[in-house]
Amino acid sequence: MAEKNQVHVDPANLVFAKAMEIVTYIGIAVMIVFGLLYLFGLSSFVDMKAAIAHWHLPVERFWHEVVGIHISGYDWFLKNLTKMDCLSMLGICILALAPLAGILAAWPKVGATHKVLALLFLILVVEYLFAIFKPIILPGVGGH
Amino acid sequence: MRFGRSWFFLFLSLFLVLFFTNHLMAGEPSVAEAAKEAVAATGAKGSNIPWWLWPVILFGFTFIIGIIAPLSGVGGGVLFVPLSTAFFPFSVDFIRGAGLIMALTSALSATPQFIRKGLANIRIMAPLVCVSMVTSILGGIVGLWITNAFPAGKYYITIALGLVLLLIFFVMLTSKRVEFPEVKEQDALSRALDLSGSWYEPTLGKILEYKVTRLPIGLICFAAVGFIAGMFGLGAGWANVPVLNLIMGAPIKVAVATSMTIISINDAAAAWIYLAKGAVLPKIVVPSVLGISIGARIGAKLAVKAKPAFVKILVMGIMLLAAALNIIKGLKGLHII
Repeated sequence: MAEKNQVHVDPANLVFAKAMEIVTYIGIAVMIVFGLLYLFGLSSFVDMKAAIAHWHLPVERFWHEVVGIHISGYDWFLKNLTKMDCLSMLGICILALAPLAGILAAWPKVGATHKVLALLFLILVVEYLFAIFKPIILPGVGGH
Repeated sequence: MRFGRSWFFLFLSLFLVLFFTNHLMAGEPSVAEAAKEAVAATGAKGSNIPWWLWPVILFGFTFIIGIIAPLSGVGGGVLFVPLSTAFFPFSVDFIRGAGLIMALTSALSATPQFIRKGLANIRIMAPLVCVSMVTSILGGIVGLWITNAFPAGKYYITIALGLVLLLIFFVMLTSKRVEFPEVKEQDALSRALDLSGSWYEPTLGKILEYKVTRLPIGLICFAAVGFIAGMFGLGAGWANVPVLNLIMGAPIKVAVATSMTIISINDAAAAWIYLAKGAVLPKIVVPSVLGISIGARIGAKLAVKAKPAFVKILVMGIMLLAAALNIIKGLKGLHII
């Protein structure tokens, strides 16, 4: 009976799901563990009390008042990975990479069976990479 | 009757959290704007809430949202963003950043299971996401640009959020779900991409096959929805599901699952804009993600026994209230009223 009700799922779908799931679990674990350590008072890039005092401000003014920096890109947390809040941010980055991991993992299987779908995947990867690198290569466009 | 009382207490708890926060913030039960001005004038000393209580409040608030959301048919972000904008002291930038990460985490957690059951399909997802990812990135850029480039930018965003909430309210009020829509013929594009699949439907005890159609119209709709989702940090299930179900002819379960997959990809792309601008604060995001994740698990179990229609009406009431509060707050900020 169970065999009879077994749905055939395209192998490319299964590879996409598996890759996405693994990266999601890693991202959630990193974000939550280091986020909790930050909340429990371990070393932080953003002082908790200063953040609360200024979190009503628009994001640019917030960073100017609290840390005295102008934020554009990812180096502000990637250069401070000894701080718990920055490590938690790294977890969020890993989470945001999960769909890209799924697309890249499924691409070879998609390409073998469906050329148009493989082309759509290529467009998705390009769009995704643009989303990631846009703040670095075009920091002022649309931002200020 | 027993469930009616339970839900009453659940919603009462939600409002008590919001009211309690507002009251403590300003020392008097006024609107959040007064609290923000007090904080702005006096720094941290303006708030009566000790720093360690904020994560607890956020956890409790999102935990309740997490229970309510699965039963009402809207994502947690759709409740979190407007209620937080109306009642909490955070800048709308940080609220949208947190809402986006919450929607992303929920969607990423659910999508693999949907795919394995055959309910979500990357063939349907791929063309729709190609369009909506671009517009969701644009939405994220435009939203942050408006709040930072104009002195009164945050008030425009708050008013626009209120109007979007009104739109969601009317979509929820008027849209009818079709469990198994009949697609007699596919359009040429959908046929060429073989937008079809199958899943096992336990209520019928058999495998059901489906195919979707009207892909060109679907692409236009998803472009618009992607922009709104990226701009306000909202998940877009409220709009994705009706488009997939009523326009493209996907069965309701397939529409919900495919919508989740699309949200996971769009929100992941939009998240980079918020990360690069520093609009994601772990202090807000971590307790919120924990709260909504745990709450959603309980909500999913309660869904078996609860009366969804009753919950949906209550959630629609909350959204209407949040819409009104956001529009009033924005108009007050612009000194129009």
